[in-house]
Amino acid sequence: MTTEERLTTYIGQELLADGGPPLQPDDNLLLSGRVDSIGVMSLLLFIETEMGVRVPPEDVTIDHFASVRAIDTYLAGRQNGSAHG
Amino acid sequence: MPRLLHEIVDESAARAPDAEAFRFSDSALTYAGLAERSARLAHVLAAEGVRPGDRVGVYLRKGLETAVAVYGILRAGAAFVPLDPKLPPARLGAVLRDAGVGHVVSHDALRAQLLALGAEAPAGLRLVGPEAADLEAAGLETISWAEVDAAPASGPLVTWDAGDMAYLMYTSGSTGLPKGIVHTHASGLAYARCAADVYGLDPRDRISGFAPLHFDQSTFDLFAGPLAGATAVVVPEPHMMMPASLAALIEAERLTVWYSVPYALTQLLLRGALDTRDLTALRWVLYGGEAFPMKHLRALMARWPHARFSNVYGPAEVNQCTVHHLDAPPSPDAEAVPIGPAWPAATCRVLDGEAPAAPGVPGELAVATPTMMEGYWNRPDLNARVFVRLGGDPRLGGERFYRTGDLVREAPDGALWFLGRMDRQVKVRGHRVELDEVEAVLVQHPAVAEAAVYAVDAADGARAVHAAVSLRPEADPPTAADLLAHARAHLPPYALPARLDVAEAFPRTTSGKIDRRALQTEAALPTP
Repeated sequence: MTTEERLTTYIGQELLADGGPPLQPDDNLLLSGRVDSIGVMSLLLFIETEMGVRVPPEDVTIDHFASVRAIDTYLAGRQNGSAHG
Repeated sequence: MPRLLHEIVDESAARAPDAEAFRFSDSALTYAGLAERSARLAHVLAAEGVRPGDRVGVYLRKGLETAVAVYGILRAGAAFVPLDPKLPPARLGAVLRDAGVGHVVSHDALRAQLLALGAEAPAGLRLVGPEAADLEAAGLETISWAEVDAAPASGPLVTWDAGDMAYLMYTSGSTGLPKGIVHTHASGLAYARCAADVYGLDPRDRISGFAPLHFDQSTFDLFAGPLAGATAVVVPEPHMMMPASLAALIEAERLTVWYSVPYALTQLLLRGALDTRDLTALRWVLYGGEAFPMKHLRALMARWPHARFSNVYGPAEVNQCTVHHLDAPPSPDAEAVPIGPAWPAATCRVLDGEAPAAPGVPGELAVATPTMMEGYWNRPDLNARVFVRLGGDPRLGGERFYRTGDLVREAPDGALWFLGRMDRQVKVRGHRVELDEVEAVLVQHPAVAEAAVYAVDAADGARAVHAAVSLRPEADPPTAADLLAHARAHLPPYALPARLDVAEAFPRTTSGKIDRRALQTEAALPTP
C-alpha cells in the first residue's frame, strides 16, 4: 500500500465511520467536521507508531494536515529529510 | 447604556464606526458594517415572515456571518437558536421542532448537512443564506446571502422589551432529548456588562473567538467584547484542532484576552510549539467548563508569566456566577483550585436540601443573578425543580435561585470549591454530557435490554464516555459498530461512547441496580 492508501484506510476506518461519502485525497479533514481533535491525536499516534515517522509539535499545522494529500506530501518531505540528515 | 443586546453594536458603532468588531482570517467586520449588515438581515427576516417572539436557527460554520446572524435576528425582534453543525440529522430535527423554528440562517458550506436533514426538517422550513438550487428541490425554501446584502439597511419596526427572549440554547438533557435554555436581552446584557467590567475589557483588546456559537462561552466574545468596543478574532475550525497553527494565530493576531475550555490550553501547552512564539500580548487567560489538570495549569502559567489566569465557573443557565483569579501558579501539592467566590453580579448560597447549609458543610450551589436564564423552554416540570426561593421577606417569596446540581463547599475565606455533581452529568472537553441521556439513547435500540454508561479519565486530562449494554435474548445480536451507528444518529459527537462493550450480565448493587462503579474497573471485551 502507498502512504496515501494507508492514511486513507486508517482515517476512513478508524476516525470517520460516519456513513458519509468515501474519503478523497483532497477532502479537507479539519473543516469538514469529520475528524475532531481526538481524531487528530489518534492519527498522529498512527503515523508515529505504525508508520515510524516522528512528527515534532511544531509540524502539526493546518498546512501539513488539512487533507490526506497534504499529510502524504509532508511525510514524503520528512522521510527525504531524515534520509539526508 | 444599551438596554437591548443589539443596541451594543449600535452604540459601539456610534462611538467608533470603523473599529473592527470581528475578524476572521483575512476579512473583518467593522462596528458600522455589522450594524448595517445585521439590519439588512433583519429586513429580510421580517419580509420572510419572522415576527417578534419567533425563534430563528443559526446553522453556520465559524466565520463573520455568525455575528451578522445573531444581531440580525435580535434586530428582527426574534430569538436566535444556536445549532451545532456536527449534530446528526435526527437530533437537529428534534431541536428544530422543540424550538418551533421556522427559519434558519445558514450558508452553502453546510449544504450537504442541510440536504441530509431530509424528512427530519420541520415542514415549510425556510433557509436564509444558502444559494444551492438542490435545497429548493429538496423542499427547503432559500434566500441567499447575496439577496440579504441587497436588502435595505433598515431593520423592521418592532418594539422590544428587555425581558423578551433573546436566545434559546440547547444542552444535554437526561431523558434522551436536549433541553432549551431561555435567555433574555436583560440576562445577556447583565452578563456582558459584568464580564466587560471584571476583565477590564476595552477597545484595544483583541479577544479569542474560540467557542462555537452553540457553546455558552461564545456569549463572551459575542456580547461582552462588543460592549467594550473590542475586537473578537474568530478562531477558524482547523486551528481548533492544530495547536501549532493556533499558537501562530495568537501571535499574528496579537490576542490580549483568551477564553476557552482547559483542554484547548493543554493542547497548546503540549503541542503548540510555544517556545517558537511571542505571545506576550496575552494579558488575561480565562478558562472554564471543566477542571484544569493542575500540572498543565502550573506549566502554562510558568510559561506565560505576563498573563493573569482566572478559573471561570457558571453553567449555561446563569452564564457565569463565580471566578477565581490565580495570583500565582498553584503549589506543587495542590490538587485543585477553587471556582472562586461569587462574581459581582451573583449571589451564591450553599444548600442542604432546600435550606442553607451550615458553614463549611458541602451542599448544592444555588445562584441568584440577573444573568440567569428565564427558564427551560416549555419544561414547567424542570423549572419547578431547578428554581428555589430563598431569603428576604417570606411573604414576598424571597429571591429566585437556580440550583446548579453542583456539589460545593464554602471555605472560611469565602472561596467555593467544586466537589462534584449531584447527578450523573459529566464534562467531556467542556461539553455537558448527561450519562443518563446516553443510556436512554442506547436502550432505544431494539436489541438492547439494559445500558450502563460511565465516565473514565482519558489521555490529556480529558474525560471519556464508556458504555456497556446487555442484549435482549430474542433479538439478533448487533455488532458494536451497529450500536455505535445508532448512538451516532441520536447524540452529538462528544457524547458518543469511546468504548462500547456487550455484557453478558451486569454487576449489581445490593438494591439490584446496575453497579456502574464496578463496571468502570471491570475488564471487558475490547471494542472492534
